[in-house]
Amino acid sequence: METDIRFTHKALVEQCKAGNASSQYELYGLYVDAMYNVGIRFLGNKEEAEDIVQDSFVDAFKKLHSFKYDSSFGAWLKRIVINKSINRLKAKKIPVVSMEMHEFYLADEEPAHVSETVDIKKVKLGIAKLPEGYRQIINLYLIEGYDHVEIGEILGISTNTSKSQYHRAKKKLLEIINEM
Amino acid sequence: MDNFEKHIRENATQFNEHKADRDKMWAHISSELQKKETRIIPLWVWPVVRVACFAILFLGIGGFVGFSIYKSTTPEQQYVSKELQEINMHYKDVLAYQISLVEKNPNLSSEDKTEFLSFMDELDAEYELLRLELQNNLDNERILEAIVANYQKRIELIRNLLQKINDSKNLDNDYGYTL
Repeated sequence: METDIRFTHKALVEQCKAGNASSQYELYGLYVDAMYNVGIRFLGNKEEAEDIVQDSFVDAFKKLHSFKYDSSFGAWLKRIVINKSINRLKAKKIPVVSMEMHEFYLADEEPAHVSETVDIKKVKLGIAKLPEGYRQIINLYLIEGYDHVEIGEILGISTNTSKSQYHRAKKKLLEIINEM
Repeated sequence: MDNFEKHIRENATQFNEHKADRDKMWAHISSELQKKETRIIPLWVWPVVRVACFAILFLGIGGFVGFSIYKSTTPEQQYVSKELQEINMHYKDVLAYQISLVEKNPNLSSEDKTEFLSFMDELDAEYELLRLELQNNLDNERILEAIVANYQKRIELIRNLLQKINDSKNLDNDYGYTL
């Protein structure tokens, strides 16, 4: 039995590839809430999140033959949702990274301290208060769990820019949380 | 990764607080998936169609270029030919008159007349070349100048010839008086 995370729901995915509608609905049911929340985190409103998630599932089912288990189905689908969300933001001229494109940050800069067990509700509020251009990189790194190479690919920036942008965004987030 | 980051990542599921309207969204997805995809068959994969496409493309481009050239040059050609006609009318009359003077001149032998007029024929051939060039060449102003210069040269040569004949006649007469 295959235990690699990439093969999660493999049987279901294979049935979907064969065009089985009930399998499609089952797979959809397993991921729709997670994808909807990704959409809301990036786009900030329910209508647009619904729109993007619907389009992503349609694209995913139509292009499922190109899915070769290089990652899990969930990771593949999430990448579709995030790419579509970023493109939507760009189309609306909303900055997805901060305008200050410094590639370096001061490593010995004193970081803002926050309790290690900070209330997640405060973090959510803090992220919501972040300026445009900071929110996406925090979402991608802290919540979606991408590394800076992947974030660079998603946002179309260098790895170093991703690192510096993230550190600046995190510093801002900690300041906001500390002021609460 | 510091402790803050670890704490967030460990509790990432708590950020999934919203519930999707599953049925509404599935209805949309399902209807989109049921839509028959319009298959686009690339016709150019068939050799006959490909050749036909190239032929149509070639004729289209050729026709367009030809029409453009015709459209861009015709008014100019008309203008030039009208201008050329006016020049021709003026200089032809002058030249014909001058040639008739040469032919009628009693002081020139028939051999001299033939030799001189054959030289005129060379300039006439040059004029014909210039006239054809004017139809093909875009730099019409320079060709027109050359045509005028050709006419003027012929007229000047005839005038010089007639002048010389008259001068020699006068000289002969004067010589008689000076003696």
